[in-house]
Amino acid sequence: MKLALQNILHDRGRFSVTVLGVSFAVFLMVFQGSLLSGFLQAASRLIDASDSDIWITARGVQAFEFGTALESRVREMAAGVPGVMDTSRVCMAFAVYRTPIGKQQVVALVGADPGVGRRFPVPNRLESAAEMSPDAVLYDVSDRKQIEVNTLPSEVEINRHRASIEREIQGYGAFLGVPFLFTSYRNAIRYMDSGPDQAMYILLRIDKAYPVSQVQQSLKQRLPEVDVLTQDEFAHKSRMYWTIKTGAGGAILTAAVLGFLIGLVVVSQTIYANTMENIEEYATLKALGASQSFVARIVLSQALICGAIGSVLGLLAVIPSISYAKSLIPWIHAPWWLPGAMVVPSLAMCSLASIVSVRSALTVEPGRVFRA
Amino acid sequence: MPSPFLGVEDASVSFGQGEARVCALRDISLTFERGTLSLLMGPSGSGKTTMLSMLGCLLSPDEGTVFVDGVAVNGLSEAERTVIRQTKISFVFQAFRLFHSLSALDNVALGFEIRDAAASGREEMARDLLLQFGLGDKLHQEPNDLSPGEKQRVAIARALAGNPPILLADEPTASLDAEAGRNICNILRRQVDEHGRTVVVVSHDWRWEKFADRTVTLCDGKVEEEVGVL
Repeated sequence: MKLALQNILHDRGRFSVTVLGVSFAVFLMVFQGSLLSGFLQAASRLIDASDSDIWITARGVQAFEFGTALESRVREMAAGVPGVMDTSRVCMAFAVYRTPIGKQQVVALVGADPGVGRRFPVPNRLESAAEMSPDAVLYDVSDRKQIEVNTLPSEVEINRHRASIEREIQGYGAFLGVPFLFTSYRNAIRYMDSGPDQAMYILLRIDKAYPVSQVQQSLKQRLPEVDVLTQDEFAHKSRMYWTIKTGAGGAILTAAVLGFLIGLVVVSQTIYANTMENIEEYATLKALGASQSFVARIVLSQALICGAIGSVLGLLAVIPSISYAKSLIPWIHAPWWLPGAMVVPSLAMCSLASIVSVRSALTVEPGRVFRA
Repeated sequence: MPSPFLGVEDASVSFGQGEARVCALRDISLTFERGTLSLLMGPSGSGKTTMLSMLGCLLSPDEGTVFVDGVAVNGLSEAERTVIRQTKISFVFQAFRLFHSLSALDNVALGFEIRDAAASGREEMARDLLLQFGLGDKLHQEPNDLSPGEKQRVAIARALAGNPPILLADEPTASLDAEAGRNICNILRRQVDEHGRTVVVVSHDWRWEKFADRTVTLCDGKVEEEVGVL
């Protein structure tokens, strides 16, 4: 397949354009893929951080960020269902935050009971909980600029209540452009001016001896006026809301598909131009006895060589770009398998792009070799 | 009567349709014995190249039969004719038709690869052939850096890769000066004398007559004259 390699290297200009087209496509696919992956993760991050088996929400709640208050009796009734081992409360509401220098802005305030989960960012769950007051407020490091806190602890106001910001955490940055603040359940309902025992979500842990689906069914029967979802169901619902219903996921996916299509067109055009320029050579190959598969392999190899080199260059460019983007979009996330996985569609794209060229090379009449 | 080693029997070929129809060969029969060098001559449009295309399994006659290595080939599929070209026939062209992006060595090695993709030592065999043709110092040069005579010697080396028994040459000396042309005539003659190949040369060049065992002159798609030992 030296001919395939030499043919593309011989026309460096066209080769560069092809490789650039593939690199661009790979860059866009990996970058948009990382945005989509991060977006999906961020859309259900707090749900996934809980250790609960079942989430009870008000009827029709689409995503964690849009919870509405449940009646306090819901928790008591849920606790009485056989198999329910433990209940926790989570409340979430948008609140007015006043920075230490007096600037006001909206924040998403989340409060939760300690039993909500080991990874859930509430003061009592942190390793350094002993060094904090039970009513400490936490914020994500990526929101530092918006929170405008220079020293810890720092006195601020939330909904005109005095609050103490005591810790920076990681991995729970702003998803809606509005920073999250995390505190204990007790503290949060005080800031929200809610009644005692009021919550947006009741989280249940189920006894291992009971099937979760069976307990879920019992809860649905006993509490017909609320939604009873497994953790996975609520996480999925939340992700679907943000990606499908808001159109955000569609926009990200469209850009990735667009990258694929642009790469396809660029590679297709350049490989085709290269094939047509060398069409006499393909006729010579056939006259000399080259089989159809031999000829097809040469054209396909050219496309795949461009695909492989373009993919490597695209990956070399996108990996640092994603690292840099993390400082601007904290939730962007490239799973370890994504860059490698994107090489497959890029090679498929190059193979697809070479179909017309392969066809031209295969149908060239070998008898034309005698035309001077 | 046994089938001829190489030849055509009652073959007619025409191109185009209706009033534009041109008859390139008319009911022609010609055979070429194994181990001979035959020269096909004639004015432009006499059917020389059409004859070469038929013998090279690149064209099927409208009527008649084409024999290659004693086998009638015009009923064969395209894939089967490709195999015949791969194993038994090779070509030398007026315009050389070397692969412009490959070195002389790689051009010849590609000839081996086409004939047997699994064969090992292709580069060594290609080097040996080029050394035989006095191109030892041109192995890594691309065709554009070679003189016309050198290009044609590379093209002949490529044609001989895989040791095909039949060599079909279309105006192999037309683009060469006298010295280079004579050199090519000698090389092809040696293929007959030393290796027993069957060589058919189409040419307008009268120098070939003294190298050929037989000269066939075509005119208007028919044999006008045959001179030689066969």
